[in-house]
Amino acid sequence: MTLSVFFMGGLAGLLLGLDRTAAGQFMLARPVVAGPLTGWLVGDPLVGLQVGALVELLWLGRLPVGAAIPPDDTQVAVAGTVLAVAAGHYYALEGMLLILLSVLVAMPLGKIGQIFDRLARSRNSRLVRQAEADVTAGRTAALERRHLRGLIHFAAAALGTYVLIVVPGWLVVRFAGERLLPALDGMDGWLLLAFPLVGTATLLGTINVSRSLTLFAASFTTVLLLLWLL
Amino acid sequence: MKAGTARRKLPFRVLARMLGRSFFLQASWSFERMQSLGALYVLAPALRFLYRGQDLEEAFRRHLVYFNTHPYMAPPLLGAVTALEEEQAQGADCAISAVEFRDMVMAPLAAIGDALFWGGLRPLAAVIALFFAFKGSLLAPLVFLVLFNLPHLWFRCAGLWRGYSRGLRLVETLQRLRLPDWALRAKEATVVLLGGLCAYLTLVCLKQEEIAAGWGLLFFPLVVLLGWLARKGVSNLLLILATLAVLLLAGLIV
Repeated sequence: MTLSVFFMGGLAGLLLGLDRTAAGQFMLARPVVAGPLTGWLVGDPLVGLQVGALVELLWLGRLPVGAAIPPDDTQVAVAGTVLAVAAGHYYALEGMLLILLSVLVAMPLGKIGQIFDRLARSRNSRLVRQAEADVTAGRTAALERRHLRGLIHFAAAALGTYVLIVVPGWLVVRFAGERLLPALDGMDGWLLLAFPLVGTATLLGTINVSRSLTLFAASFTTVLLLLWLL
Repeated sequence: MKAGTARRKLPFRVLARMLGRSFFLQASWSFERMQSLGALYVLAPALRFLYRGQDLEEAFRRHLVYFNTHPYMAPPLLGAVTALEEEQAQGADCAISAVEFRDMVMAPLAAIGDALFWGGLRPLAAVIALFFAFKGSLLAPLVFLVLFNLPHLWFRCAGLWRGYSRGLRLVETLQRLRLPDWALRAKEATVVLLGGLCAYLTLVCLKQEEIAAGWGLLFFPLVVLLGWLARKGVSNLLLILATLAVLLLAGLIV
């Protein structure tokens, strides 16, 4: 059962990873979509939705501008969902604690996984040089093949990041979970709030809107007081 | 023949192939030339229709250079580049070559696209979808995809056609759309919605912990502090782990 969850997660990671940069860019790779989609594939879309919701805001302010590569929140959402579902099977538990533990484990590993994305993009430089040689030699028909070979590099990078998160992540969840879960118990409400607040704070810092703090403060206070009065 | 007066002759199927290929623009994205090979991949059906033999090789060579713009702004730009290539192939007296136009316009279009799609529309669609997600509704991904992809797909499909039909005048068309203003409005709406979302989540947390809602006002300076730390270069990962450490310590003390 757990093996099939990891396998389906790998498939989701590969396909959604391609949407991130190389193909389509329909935003299927955003955590709020990738999480529930992976969850649906492994049998629990609601777990995926909760993982996606936690991860979505965190790196939303990091834009893929120029040569900048934001952290791979797609694989964090996919692997986080897989870990949460697999841990649910293993511990015969369900609930927010497993989701929080999975996301907390997946986040730092996802940061390390960026290395694969860099490798894929470096490897693609060769394709351009090979295409130049093709054109010089009059082999213009080879152009499409060269270009589409980049998809393999990006797919391999997505899978590499997924494996890098899931394998050590599963070892942590399985062998340290029994100690970590009781430690997180009781603070899950606060942690659930910490994720969107940290994401919001970072987004406000990068969104480049004059008076963003004024707008945020007015909206925050109005809604808080209104909900309190209701 | 004067530039801009040349007749557009590319068949619809060539433009449709270019549109389909534009979804793979970044398949070979590299640090060295970025979308260079991708742009040529999109243009290839049109170039093959316009040129033969040595001329085709020459056309491929002049487009196999550095290219980088926003992926959703590339179809209008490459549409206009195709129109200019067509005029050149028909022997029109062009004031500016296709390559010169592409080099001049790609960076401003990249900046507009980044602000509009990555900086404006994507956070706006995400925050609206998060309201659904935090309520546990599986409509969240659908809401996000519809809100984001309607303008995105319109821009790609209509953009390629407008770029091809307008040629050099694409710049005027884009200016009339006032895209930077739309980006700013989307960002302002995002900030307002984020305020509402954070207030709702704060209240839910306080209720769960049985703390008076008035204390929720203290979370505003907390967000400001976190934002300040993030601006100083502290990573989100570190901020989350620090929060976890503080909560663990608080748990030990209480």
